[in-house]
Amino acid sequence: MSAQHEKKESAASSPIVIVFFIIGLAVSLFVGWSIFPKLLYSQKKQPIDFSHSIHLDAVGDCESCHFFREDGSFSGIPELSNCVECHEEAQGEDPEEIKLIENYIEPNKEIPWLVYSRQPDCVFFSHAAHVKMGELECKTCHGMIGESDHVEIYEENRITGYSRNIWGKSIGGFKSNTWDRMKMDDCAECHEEHGTNQACFVCHK
Amino acid sequence: MKEEHKEGAHGHKEKYKYGMVIDLDKCTGCGACMVACMTENNVPFRKDESNKLVSTAWMRVFKATNGKSYPDIDVCYFPRPCMHCEGEHGHAPCVSVCPATATDYNYETGIVSQIYTRCFGCRYCMAACPYHARYFNWWDPVWPDKMEKALSPDVSPRMRGVVEKCSFCFHRFQRARDHAYAEGRREIREDEYQTACTQACPADAIIFGDLNNPEHKVYKLKKSPYAFRLLERLGTNPKVYYLSTRSWVRRAGDNYLAGERSK
Amino acid sequence: MSLGRRGFLQFCLGAGAGITFSPLPWKLMDDISIWSQTFRGIPIEVPVPPVGEVNIEKSVCTLCPGGCGISVRKIKNRAVKIEGAEGHPINDGGICILGVAGLYQLYGGARVKGPLKRAGNRGEGKWEEISWSAAISEISKKLSQIRRNGSAHTVACISGKDRGTVPQLFKRLLTAYGSPNFISMPSSEDTERLGLKLMQGEDASVGYDLENARYILSFGSGLIDGWGSPVRVFRANSAWREEAVKGLAKVVQIEPRLSNTAAKADRWVPIAPGTEAALALGFAHVIIKERRYNKNFVMNHCFGFEDWTDNSGKVHKGLKRMVLKDYSPDVVSEITGISVSKIVALAREFARAKRPLAVCGRGKGSTPEGLQEFMAIYALNTLVGNINKTGGVRALPEVRTTAWPGVAQDAIAKRGMNQPRFDRAGTKAFPVTESLFNQLSGLMNTGKGAYTLSALLVYGANPYYTAHDKAAVAEALDSIPFIVSFSSHMDETAQHADFILPSHTNLERYEDVPTPAGLNVPIIGLSRPVVDPEYDTKHVGDTVIALGKSIDGIADSFVWDDYESLLKETMGGKWDTLIGEGYWKDAGYSPAAWSSGFKTPSGKFEFFATGLYRAGIRSHNDNDYLPRYKPVVLEGDPGSYPLVLIPIESTRLADGAVANPPYLTKTVADTVLKNNDIFVEVNPKTAAAYGLSEGAVAMLKTPTGEVKVRTHMYEGVRPGVVAIPTGLGHSAYDDYLSGKGVNANEVIGTVEDPISGLDIAWGSRASLVGII
Repeated sequence: MSAQHEKKESAASSPIVIVFFIIGLAVSLFVGWSIFPKLLYSQKKQPIDFSHSIHLDAVGDCESCHFFREDGSFSGIPELSNCVECHEEAQGEDPEEIKLIENYIEPNKEIPWLVYSRQPDCVFFSHAAHVKMGELECKTCHGMIGESDHVEIYEENRITGYSRNIWGKSIGGFKSNTWDRMKMDDCAECHEEHGTNQACFVCHK
Repeated sequence: MKEEHKEGAHGHKEKYKYGMVIDLDKCTGCGACMVACMTENNVPFRKDESNKLVSTAWMRVFKATNGKSYPDIDVCYFPRPCMHCEGEHGHAPCVSVCPATATDYNYETGIVSQIYTRCFGCRYCMAACPYHARYFNWWDPVWPDKMEKALSPDVSPRMRGVVEKCSFCFHRFQRARDHAYAEGRREIREDEYQTACTQACPADAIIFGDLNNPEHKVYKLKKSPYAFRLLERLGTNPKVYYLSTRSWVRRAGDNYLAGERSK
Repeated sequence: MSLGRRGFLQFCLGAGAGITFSPLPWKLMDDISIWSQTFRGIPIEVPVPPVGEVNIEKSVCTLCPGGCGISVRKIKNRAVKIEGAEGHPINDGGICILGVAGLYQLYGGARVKGPLKRAGNRGEGKWEEISWSAAISEISKKLSQIRRNGSAHTVACISGKDRGTVPQLFKRLLTAYGSPNFISMPSSEDTERLGLKLMQGEDASVGYDLENARYILSFGSGLIDGWGSPVRVFRANSAWREEAVKGLAKVVQIEPRLSNTAAKADRWVPIAPGTEAALALGFAHVIIKERRYNKNFVMNHCFGFEDWTDNSGKVHKGLKRMVLKDYSPDVVSEITGISVSKIVALAREFARAKRPLAVCGRGKGSTPEGLQEFMAIYALNTLVGNINKTGGVRALPEVRTTAWPGVAQDAIAKRGMNQPRFDRAGTKAFPVTESLFNQLSGLMNTGKGAYTLSALLVYGANPYYTAHDKAAVAEALDSIPFIVSFSSHMDETAQHADFILPSHTNLERYEDVPTPAGLNVPIIGLSRPVVDPEYDTKHVGDTVIALGKSIDGIADSFVWDDYESLLKETMGGKWDTLIGEGYWKDAGYSPAAWSSGFKTPSGKFEFFATGLYRAGIRSHNDNDYLPRYKPVVLEGDPGSYPLVLIPIESTRLADGAVANPPYLTKTVADTVLKNNDIFVEVNPKTAAAYGLSEGAVAMLKTPTGEVKVRTHMYEGVRPGVVAIPTGLGHSAYDDYLSGKGVNANEVIGTVEDPISGLDIAWGSRASLVGII
């Protein structure tokens, strides 16, 4: 085949071939950015819809329900006994409230909350170190959850079993707020900034 | 003591330097430390643990004899946790060989960590450790009947294929620190952070504390004329000291030539 | 426009480029690596222990009689760790290897999950689940029937111990029912109590003030191998070690094998097995001859030291004459294998020492010693005048509790209680002994018993495993037609029962823990429920009360609603302290002065046990009433059995009614247990003589039985001695325990003490033959 002939043919077909390249590019970008996250995460509903903002108005601060124990450990998600303190009987007609009473409080069964910020078992996180000593606000890591009116859908990673909130809502891993992601790098970033100890055992167990 | 931030040659802040002094005259070889460690740290057991090469014991009590014959024979037990070697500036033998950075030296506490989820099981560290203090998980743990209920949430159970070792019950340090923080303190008192083996030892043979703190018991004990460390001449700079008034025991702590004088 | 080859390639190129600029590969890689950290679900899920609030519950450990305070760490309702209770007078924060592994008793294998009734043959392992009410009603129907037939006395109970409210309840059940056959498993405490009764006239246990003693002469006691209340002795040992460095304390261990105790002692005296009493009397000889004894105490507060004349004018031999005549160092050296100079030197050291103390009870003290042997060793304490002194010995009284209302005995009960005990304890044969478990098998297997036993209740004991001459005991117990076990676990005895009424385990129940053996101050501990019962089990006290209420004619003696109210009532004013502190200690206790310390007829300490004479034991030989060395004649002839077998008792192997948890088995050296093979220790000289090398397989034969073992050469054993670890060789429980090694009790027979009738076998004759 002569060089001249080849050049001619390629010149003739190249614009069309580029179209295929672009189609390929577009399809894969669409798959990667849009389809993939839908496939990666399964969606789960919390057992009860719940308004943080109503509760926050009623009790005043986060620590009323998410409190520190005397030994410095953090209680995390409230147990049923905390709920019972106010909700021994239904406080209204709300069907979610009825659900709470009938399904959990009356049979004295713990509510199987799905925890957005649950970290793998190898992670040790001290709320006391961050809140009591570091004087961080809850929202630095947990965002505006205190202002929400409804619980959001819990998205569970089908491969790892952890919540989407750890990686962050942005599938690209971009973040604009400190609370958008809860990966190790995000912890390390803040520790780096504040000159905090970076040894493995600080955050691992 | 006032908080003391020593600036080491390596430029790291050295806040605590936790270590142990084990009195071999008091140690009875009873094994309570071994089991206290296992139950504290979620170390499993299998049906047959008689192959000691694959039997995990973060704290293991070794038996040594003076090599003499009846009736001059003498026996001594050596409880062996991880030595948390400092080497030079934190270059513990295991830390320097780990390709995954699954083990590191914490300059704030002097504790050598092991992060199971980071470890990929190459076992270089096991080869590097002169104390056989590291163990490989050849199997996933199996907890018979309801034994899973007895697992502590403070220590993450290990999966097969990773290496594990004594952490000086670092979770107890974390627990103590949380408690101190909740009370608005930064310093941890000597009695607030003690390892499970120290606490359990019925003979009070294991003493644990901050080797840098003159008010801690270990500070004084490590300077005893009877104190020695295991394989000290390798330069591992271990943080576990032993005490024995028997000279053959002190000599057994390292390798000496036949005619060489030992401490 | 068709795709074509080039188009396809371009498409792939584009797709590839696009994927690279999408999160897909990077996120996937991250997720897969997270997954690979735990291989979630393949093949198993590595558990993630749930977090929660921490609760610490205080209790008292009941896995051995040591009575240590424990504090149990709980996450919500899960018990996750057992630790020693800080500030507890016995263990102050320390804990032993068995106690720290105690959660296995609760959550581990072989729990009996509800009442069971035997479905197949005895020991076949076929069971039928049955409700509590049906089980209680069937058992009480059976027992009522035996009672109606006039055979109430043929029902026996074997209990692990005989002090505390639970054994008292069983005793009460039998007393109301009409049977004298409450049998408790023997230990060296039995001999010690008997000895104290005779020499000091008190119903008491020996309290050893170890903490304050500074010269400890231990006659084979495994002081740091599990003797007495183990943690307490460890702590005392540490105190001795601190003093020893300064030259202020000394521990001498007299034992044929270099045990941990011997290794930690300042001096190990390797003695010929079983000759400890001779050595003690040899020491006495030197002390008396050199007039090194405490003259004030011996002359003013002792009886039977010098010769004495009885009412009939007959002159009796005193300790002094006997010892000076029979136990010169030459003679003793011949018996014990210890040189004359050493005997003399040790005796002088002991007599000269500040706060000397002679301790007895071999190993963990699980086998009684001979009565006269105890008297011989105890006499050393008497000679140096350390009775009721700091660092000495004392007769420790029981802690007083509220007495129960009397048993309402009907005619059947009275008739039954008038029958002699089956084991002949308290009869003409053995008038001074309370209970003789070891007599059962002989009497039953030869048909020489006064009657045949028709039913047996077993609690807190596992005789099918722990008794010497295991095969004979199994044969005897198997012949009892009706056996009820109250065990929490499927142990060897439960396996052979007809009914199992499972009890709560140590962490699920209330129970009082009486003063442990050897302690120097009276104390009661309170074991209490730390977690809710895991299975359909009951408190054994409640089960006994329920049986009492439903057996015909005895309900009047069981008026309590439940065990808890009974315990509360019994403890009376001490209950609040028990609940608050976990223990009640007699803070004001101090031993009596010499002048008022002895409850014997002479008001003195009696070297010459006149109590034996009063009990009806007649002998023309005064030596029979004095401390004495009488060789224990082991079965078998030395020709066929040239070696002597002794047990190795170690803290790392629980060998009693509580089986060894797998955590402990894990700590056992591979020169004790390798795969399923047990190792016996022999001196390399012995091994060479029998052509055995390290690890060689051999048959260990004794007159009692034979087992396959491997040999481990150890310079710490006397030549001519074979030492076998105890606590292995279970045939019951789960796979973590059963089938590992052999049970030493298969090859150790029984030897009867001529006076007490107790089994005093400290070993056996044996031969070791290599298998090629």
